Amino acid sequence: MTATVDRRRSNRAPYLLLIPAVGILLVGMGYPLVWQVVTSTQEYGLQQQFGKAAPFVFLDNYLELASKPAFWAVVAKSIAFCLVTAGLTLGVGVLLALLMNAVGKAPRIILQISLLLAWSMPVVAAMTVWIWLFDRRRGAVNFLLDLVPGVDMNRFNWLETPATFFLVASVIVIWMSVPFVAFSTFAGLTQVSDEVLEAAQLDGATGRQRFFGIILPMIKPVIAIVFLLQIIWDLRVFTQITMLQDAGSKSSEFDLLGTYIYKLGTKSQDFGMASAVSILVLAITILLSWFYIRSLLKEDEQ
Amino acid sequence: MRARTARTLWGALAIAVALVWVFPVYWMVNSSLLPNVTLQSFIPTFVPLGGSFGNFTAALADGEFYAALGMSVSITLIAVFFCLIFAFLGAVAISRFRFRGRKSFVIAVLVVQMLPAEGLFIAQYKMVASAHLLDSVVGVSIIYIAAVVPFTIWMLRGFVAGVPADLEEAAMVDGLSRFGAFMRITFPLLAPGLVASGVYAFLQAWNEFTVALVLLPSESAQTLPLWLRGFVQASATRETDWGQVMAASTLVAVPVIVFFLIVQGRLTSGLVSGAVKG
Amino acid sequence: MKKRIVAVAAATAAALMLAGCASGDDASGGADAKDITLWLNGGDTPDALRDFLKTEYADATGGTLTIEEQSWTDALAKLTTALPDAENTPDVVEIGNTWAPTFTNAGAFTDLSDMYDELGGDKLLPSFVEVGSVDDKQYALPYYFGSRYMFYRKDVWEKAGITVPTTLAEFNDAAAKLTTDGQSGFYIGGEDWRNGVSWIFANGGELAVKDGDDWKSSLSDPKTVEGLTQLQTLFADASLAPVTEADSTPWVNINNNESTGAPEAATIIAPGWAHWSIGDPSPDPKDATKVVNTWNDATFGTFVLPGIDGGVAPVFAGGSNIAISAASKKQDSAKALMKIVFSEEYQKMLGENGLGPANLDYASSLGDDQFATALIDSAAESKLTPAAPGWAAVEGSGLLEEFFGKVNGGGDVEALAEEYDKKIDELING
Repeated sequence: MTATVDRRRSNRAPYLLLIPAVGILLVGMGYPLVWQVVTSTQEYGLQQQFGKAAPFVFLDNYLELASKPAFWAVVAKSIAFCLVTAGLTLGVGVLLALLMNAVGKAPRIILQISLLLAWSMPVVAAMTVWIWLFDRRRGAVNFLLDLVPGVDMNRFNWLETPATFFLVASVIVIWMSVPFVAFSTFAGLTQVSDEVLEAAQLDGATGRQRFFGIILPMIKPVIAIVFLLQIIWDLRVFTQITMLQDAGSKSSEFDLLGTYIYKLGTKSQDFGMASAVSILVLAITILLSWFYIRSLLKEDEQ
Repeated sequence: MRARTARTLWGALAIAVALVWVFPVYWMVNSSLLPNVTLQSFIPTFVPLGGSFGNFTAALADGEFYAALGMSVSITLIAVFFCLIFAFLGAVAISRFRFRGRKSFVIAVLVVQMLPAEGLFIAQYKMVASAHLLDSVVGVSIIYIAAVVPFTIWMLRGFVAGVPADLEEAAMVDGLSRFGAFMRITFPLLAPGLVASGVYAFLQAWNEFTVALVLLPSESAQTLPLWLRGFVQASATRETDWGQVMAASTLVAVPVIVFFLIVQGRLTSGLVSGAVKG
Repeated sequence: MKKRIVAVAAATAAALMLAGCASGDDASGGADAKDITLWLNGGDTPDALRDFLKTEYADATGGTLTIEEQSWTDALAKLTTALPDAENTPDVVEIGNTWAPTFTNAGAFTDLSDMYDELGGDKLLPSFVEVGSVDDKQYALPYYFGSRYMFYRKDVWEKAGITVPTTLAEFNDAAAKLTTDGQSGFYIGGEDWRNGVSWIFANGGELAVKDGDDWKSSLSDPKTVEGLTQLQTLFADASLAPVTEADSTPWVNINNNESTGAPEAATIIAPGWAHWSIGDPSPDPKDATKVVNTWNDATFGTFVLPGIDGGVAPVFAGGSNIAISAASKKQDSAKALMKIVFSEEYQKMLGENGLGPANLDYASSLGDDQFATALIDSAAESKLTPAAPGWAAVEGSGLLEEFFGKVNGGGDVEALAEEYDKKIDELING
């Protein structure tokens, strides 16, 4: 697994190989990243865009943020949303992968194609359709639920309260993210040896025991990285939330970190503060994924 | 017998899930074939009987779609191509070699992905504007490549590590140079991995909105997501024509789906090899 | 393997060639000091007027005028990045009147004081001139104004035996009486502050006042609170709209709902241009898949929101200002365009198309039908949002939507007013 390499011959090779990647990262991300860190320590608003000097306030932006209960409320909501959504995405994705593995060719291909279609639909297009489906007056969801006897969903406004708002957001994000998880996990499952499973079955292991004892450990690496990525993405989710707000309410109780930064930056022109929030989100993401990063680095040592 | 019944039941479940999952995509296509009047009705229409392609004709009428398509295709192909090359080289570097700064680079790659993009657009604008690259394919592509390279390095790293160096060593014993061994033995085994990463990079570039909005201010240089956005805006003199919005959405989604269906065979085998190495 | 590499390389080469063609890079240099760009927001300016500007500009200067339309939702981001950039800034921009103070104070626009009289001087709508001025110098001038007035269903009102109200209190009562389980007497979204603010203005309240050099949010002012309380009662009694709704497509609620055959509301408040979409539906003669709504005087009517003691209530004036980008390198050409915009001919064209012209001398070009009269009457008393440097930020933060939503949700008006005064004060001075 680890490469054995003649160190003397390849002293310069890795660095040369890294030049393009490092180069493009420095060009594309370097300046913006430095700008963001610097701006987070300044008072930077619209006037600074037009030439006024930006006074340094060092950690004031951060302190001001830390003292705003509204900020922590958004952080708490974002972490909760992220964990629930990523968790459910993972759960559903793994289950669908198991389903794909357990069925014949035809149903499997049908399922895979439908997941592919969902995955490849552009976000803007998908959001337009989903908002349309949940429209309180003309949406198909209300119409269909209304057909269930005893349920009255006529004119039910899904986007009116934060609880149902985030429920809809979660459903949409899960719908968009499950295909990636399902395919990755399915790929991992095909590596699990059928013989080992059969042997275990002959020995009397139940389905559950086979899953937790054999399958799960083998696909753990896949699940781990996929879960990490979901957490990173779901914590910063922006487009879905902002489009739902456009259709529903722009009130701050419907904000997650992505829209919070956007409102501070683009909408209120307080770019210093927006930069500070971005850096904080970076810190939070690192914290949430710390265990995984540590285990990755340890694995590298071996 | 029980196994077969179970299989059939699972099969039925799979198909049921598939139908439910694809419903929004169906809804988009369904709505694109209906006139706005029908869509405004308070009773949704589930099957487009008597529908027409009128919305598509209207959406394509002013020709802006083709220009936007050209922009999106150029930017996306460039971004994917260079991203794959750069990331591949980087992945080889960190999987095949031990060197000083390797650990820092690995961490940096991981951390760079965690930065929210919403706050960066001002800096990105300033940078691209000062290089006189606004309204150009190159300007946007550079930003996109930088945005997807980290994840791609991560994904390819697993694939490269999954091909044992011993294979190359063996080929070298047989007389091939290091480079030759690499190209003949390792590289072909990576093709599925490259396809998998390429697909992900494609999706990211194709759907991106905010950076495109700011770096492509002229109407003459729009990508498809910007073009689509124009349909959703109601204005004083015309309200949103939802039929056209759906038709436009379908038009934006079709190239992606076509691309996807072409490469999906490779994709599964690609994800297979890379996944286990995680 | 090799074939694939070649294929990919070919595709990239093709992409790069397309890139060269697709690049919108225009030649730099003095040759096109006369070619300028105008940014307009949304579809408000009709095509006929845009064409007029282009032809007149070509005649006057020999240069080319490019008009680019920005969507209202995305304009802010684009203006923020493009205006300061001398190489890429649009030369002339339409700027929403609520954003004008913020951008003017930030130094985005050229000082037009020496052209002011030539462009119309005192005849230009004063409130709009004010939001574009700093220290008695004019930067952003009025472009067009709109206004809001009431559209009502004569059939529904007659059936209930209610006549057009002449005071605000009468209106509030009428709206409550007209409300049934399935129909709002008056449709207004809970977070719709642009319409709801009329009740504040009518009671003599303000959103913010200038105190010395600084602006202060005045939601807790007793008159403002009075207006808000009235609105709260009105919302509870007369509107079936969701408390979280900020903007609703106005005519949807007054035209007949085709499944029930009756309208969602007996009355709506809407900007003047809404009247084009209000009426009885019939197939568009030009395109059978589309529907055209034709106004019908028997079923639909208009009136202006009455004030507390009769007369006209102040409503929120819609409209935009227009300004020259300070960073533009083509100041002279931009000024030439401004002269065309403020010319008698163009001002009259604005009026003929239902957009209130900046120069009030030409207001008569709006016509004298009920819509023009309602527009002019309501605009005469209309008010703008505070001309504070940070007002665009206040609007962008969504605080007003939030505040109005909570008030209309039944909250304690005074407590909420105090809370939101503090939040707004943080942003209002820029």
